[in-house]
Amino acid sequence: MKQSLTIGWLYPELMSTYGDRGNIFVLTKRCEWRKIQVDIKTLDFQTSDRVIEDCDLVFGGGAQDRQQGLAIDNLLKKGPVLKKLFDRGVPGLFVCGAPQLLGHYYMTGDGKKLTGLGIFDMESKHFGKEKPRCIGNTVYRWDDTTIVGFENHGGRTYLGNIQPFATVVKGSGNNGEDKTEGAVYKNCIATYSHGPFLPKNPHVADWLISKALEVKYGKKIKLSELDDTLEWQAHEFILNKRA
Amino acid sequence: MDLRTREAITLGKLVSAISQTLRLGAGATWPGEIALRIQPRILRFLTHRIPHLVLVAGTNGKTTTVKMIQTILTHAGHRVVRNASGANLDNGLVSTLLSDERAPYVIFEVDEATLPNILKDVTPEIVVLTNLFRDQLDRYGEVDTIAEKWFVALGALDAKTTVVVNADDPHLAFIGSKLAARVKYYGLEDPSLFLPKMQHATDTIYCPNCGARLTFAGVYFSHLGKWACGVCSFVPPTEDVTAGDFQSPVEGVYNKYNTLAAALSAQILDIGKQTIREALTSFTPAFGRMETIVVEGRRIKILLSKNPTGFNESLRTVAASVDRGPVLLALNDRIPDGRDVSWIWDVDFEQYSNFPKYYVSGDRALDMALRLKYAGITASIVDDIPKVDMLWILPTYSAMLDIRKKLIGRKIL
Repeated sequence: MKQSLTIGWLYPELMSTYGDRGNIFVLTKRCEWRKIQVDIKTLDFQTSDRVIEDCDLVFGGGAQDRQQGLAIDNLLKKGPVLKKLFDRGVPGLFVCGAPQLLGHYYMTGDGKKLTGLGIFDMESKHFGKEKPRCIGNTVYRWDDTTIVGFENHGGRTYLGNIQPFATVVKGSGNNGEDKTEGAVYKNCIATYSHGPFLPKNPHVADWLISKALEVKYGKKIKLSELDDTLEWQAHEFILNKRA
Repeated sequence: MDLRTREAITLGKLVSAISQTLRLGAGATWPGEIALRIQPRILRFLTHRIPHLVLVAGTNGKTTTVKMIQTILTHAGHRVVRNASGANLDNGLVSTLLSDERAPYVIFEVDEATLPNILKDVTPEIVVLTNLFRDQLDRYGEVDTIAEKWFVALGALDAKTTVVVNADDPHLAFIGSKLAARVKYYGLEDPSLFLPKMQHATDTIYCPNCGARLTFAGVYFSHLGKWACGVCSFVPPTEDVTAGDFQSPVEGVYNKYNTLAAALSAQILDIGKQTIREALTSFTPAFGRMETIVVEGRRIKILLSKNPTGFNESLRTVAASVDRGPVLLALNDRIPDGRDVSWIWDVDFEQYSNFPKYYVSGDRALDMALRLKYAGITASIVDDIPKVDMLWILPTYSAMLDIRKKLIGRKIL
């Protein structure tokens, strides 16, 4: 039987600030190279809950403030169906401002409280322009592997009763204080790493694909090996980078 | 003029003269930097006596537009000074003025983040707004942040200034519609140049006035095109010049925009149409902007490519050109390039997988090779510039300087 996955991409036009679609390219290619058929579904203003329910994996990128403002009311309406999906174990990846979007709320620099999806037990706060943004290449530890990324965020996130996604080795992570980076709810990952997060972290891409197949077909499916020499060279380069 | 200002000017000029005499190569910014430290408002004093001051701002096309305006004015017999070496922050502008006090025409390219600050001290005759695209997010922040700051800064100008606006960029047209200054518009109005479909790297596709999704009868690239809002009263302005009026002397759709911006500015400066057309035929590209270099009989064409939209247009230009050859992509992540190379994933390499050969180089060659891998392209990573009869090079800013140094022994001029 030929395997297939439906990947839902939240608001590609609005939540796509800086190379975010690289994650979709990587998921798609790594499936196709393994003869897993991929169908990319755009999840935006017109999308019905039924379409979302049929997704085997969900991706959300970063948005500029104005674009996020345009999408947020509609996205909040999708909150319950997304939560149902993630409760079922369907994997998700949210990058960039995700920790702010998926938590209970995000307090802006001028004291406005923006409601989040509330799926993740965490809160985010911007401490105003005086507090420097967290910008730069990052390295995290994820179980016994490393993860590399680039962060660029003004807000700080504090976790409630939820596991961090990874531990900070280099960079700021959630808040620059407690060494946590991002968060995980069931199989859904939120990270402050922005843009193309998966290209240099092929093991995370494959983890998402494995989980998606496992939930869809109800059994563990071993993924065939790919030649990831270039991926790991680029990963190592960031591990060894000074600045 | 107070003592402090006089001191700042005297010392700045001295540093400028020393730097020029000794060929220190730091003359582009240091004299201005020193003068600014003594008198932060020095631009106010240096510019008020300039009869014709033109500022050019935007993400892409600044350097070429400035050089085109200079070419036209020089051809018309005027003496012109510009910040030639891309030193487009306040220290570069001040340095230029300290090195040449007498030119009646001063044309500056201005960094998009610097423009609002410059406008606090300077009342230009013309401000040209070329376009606004996502660029170096880690340095500039978001497109909307820049647009918001421009809106406030340009709003303070009155009818002494003419703002020359690219009407095909909805956000800029919106800013233009709100100004007290005089506003003139340019746009392509050439459906034969429409892309078959919209690119991924777009920024302003939602109405800057009401937030509804704009409709596009066609796009030239990114979000530049024949746009309309079906919901609110915000309508595209009528252009004062279009692509039919002036022919671009250089390849590339983006150079058509640069040509129109320069020609419209020249018209505002009372240069006749015929003179502008003649002058443009003698135009030679600025360094690294579609520049041709010949080394030992080998031809190299350099197209600075530093953000998704610029990169897409470079690839489109290579594909449309009669010149055939391999392509070298040189990606650096130094301060002038932006430390974050995420943007390469917004470039549509997928459409150009049939180029004869791709090479990659630069600090982040591995990232570029990886990007190409997922576009189905196998690239060779190289340290040196491949020796072939005809080579295209698409570098980021600092990579372009390195490559020019390797090819001709100097980075800039």
